[in-house]
Amino acid sequence: MITTPGALLRAGGVVLAAVILQLSGFGPMSFLGGHPDLVALAVAAVAIYAGSVSGAATGFAAGFVLDLAVGATMGVSSLVLTAVGYAVGRYREVRDPAHGLMPIPVGAAATLGFLVAFASVSFMLDVGASVSAVVLRDMLMTTLVNALLAIPVFAVCRRILRPVLVVDPFESRRRRKAPIDSGPLGLRGLEV
Amino acid sequence: MFDSKVVRRRRAALAIFVMLSIVMLTAYFGESGGGVFHTLQRGAQEALAPIETGTGRALKPFRDFFGWFGDTLDAKGENEDLRKEVEELRKQVAQSSTAEQDARQLSGLVDLGRSEGFPDGTEPVAGRVIARSPTVWYSTVKIDKGSGDGVQEDQPVIAAGGLVGRVTSVTAGTAEVTLITDASSAVSAQIMPSGATGIVEPEVGKPEDLLLNFVQRGRRITEGTTVVTSGFTSDRVESLFPRGVPIGRVSRVDLDEVELYQRVHVKPFADIRGIDIVQVLTQKGESREAAEVVTP
Repeated sequence: MITTPGALLRAGGVVLAAVILQLSGFGPMSFLGGHPDLVALAVAAVAIYAGSVSGAATGFAAGFVLDLAVGATMGVSSLVLTAVGYAVGRYREVRDPAHGLMPIPVGAAATLGFLVAFASVSFMLDVGASVSAVVLRDMLMTTLVNALLAIPVFAVCRRILRPVLVVDPFESRRRRKAPIDSGPLGLRGLEV
Repeated sequence: MFDSKVVRRRRAALAIFVMLSIVMLTAYFGESGGGVFHTLQRGAQEALAPIETGTGRALKPFRDFFGWFGDTLDAKGENEDLRKEVEELRKQVAQSSTAEQDARQLSGLVDLGRSEGFPDGTEPVAGRVIARSPTVWYSTVKIDKGSGDGVQEDQPVIAAGGLVGRVTSVTAGTAEVTLITDASSAVSAQIMPSGATGIVEPEVGKPEDLLLNFVQRGRRITEGTTVVTSGFTSDRVESLFPRGVPIGRVSRVDLDEVELYQRVHVKPFADIRGIDIVQVLTQKGESREAAEVVTP
């Protein structure tokens, strides 16, 4: 993704929409103790399509908006989401994943990483919380819920970002696909 | 991908964002409530509030739908827990109800034993009803006391309130009690304080109504008066029931011009249908002697 006004607008739109939806729609939802975390998923989606630098920038912006909107300690979410965005972006750059189900493990890993890192930073800042079985269960359930939501969220983000992407991993992979050389009935060497 | 310029730029970007975050974090902790970041937060919250409200309303159906799954699963688990709790509470209620009923019956027995006119020379042996006849006539019950406890045949049996029957068969550990509502039952009785005598017989199938027969016509019987065992004794026969055991209360008197005797309806004091604890009135000394025989 090249930094253009259009790209900034689209990435910013994704971030803002994710934060608003998270706070007003998805945050209060509870599924066996887990809550969908759209912000982490959106950052991971931008990072997987746009790379590490864009991922880190999106993570920072998402964290900034999130902390502003929630009234939490400024900088914590930014720090953690920057790391998440960068890590997911680097994964894309190094591994170049193109499987159709790729969003599930990526979304789950990004969510788990975000939750663990956020909890760690909060503990370092001495918030006075304690790790209990309930907290661990909630983290696990949130990760699972996000894994389920990853495919639609990634698809929406891809659709929004597609016009400004330099390389769409799925698109390039499809173009590279070699044509199958076969006979009329599909058995090479035994054409009828 | 491995261009050193790109790598440097990437690392620099990461370092900048991390540094910015740390600076923000430090500044936020350092500033007062009226600082830049706090003011920014308040402004952002005010600006986003209407959007969040609108979005929240728009997404409510979706949220409800999503929540329905979680709630259903939660409710299923909760339902399971509540079922167990209800089961436990039901057991507790049953136990406390049983204990309460037992206490009431035992208290009634104690009061009965202390009542004026209760026959001397008897030693009550308390027993629990372990089986009752399954017919609607409520004619016999089995108790958990037998000959080993000094219980013998033909001994009178009382429950809270008054007389309920007599022992008709005994084993070492159990005894069968034929109730006063059994068709074969007949108890010589006396209406107090008038002294009119008669025979209490059951009106079979009506455990809450006994008949006092053979009461002479001339005797004036008042409703509500007490009927007790008369303990009739003669040279040839002797009543199985000692004198003075309460049976019931006169509920109605049938006056028939043709009959020689009056028919007096008696409502038994004891709850014949609900007895759980009874006392067998053994002769004083018998129960102890029997126990001594049984105990090695």
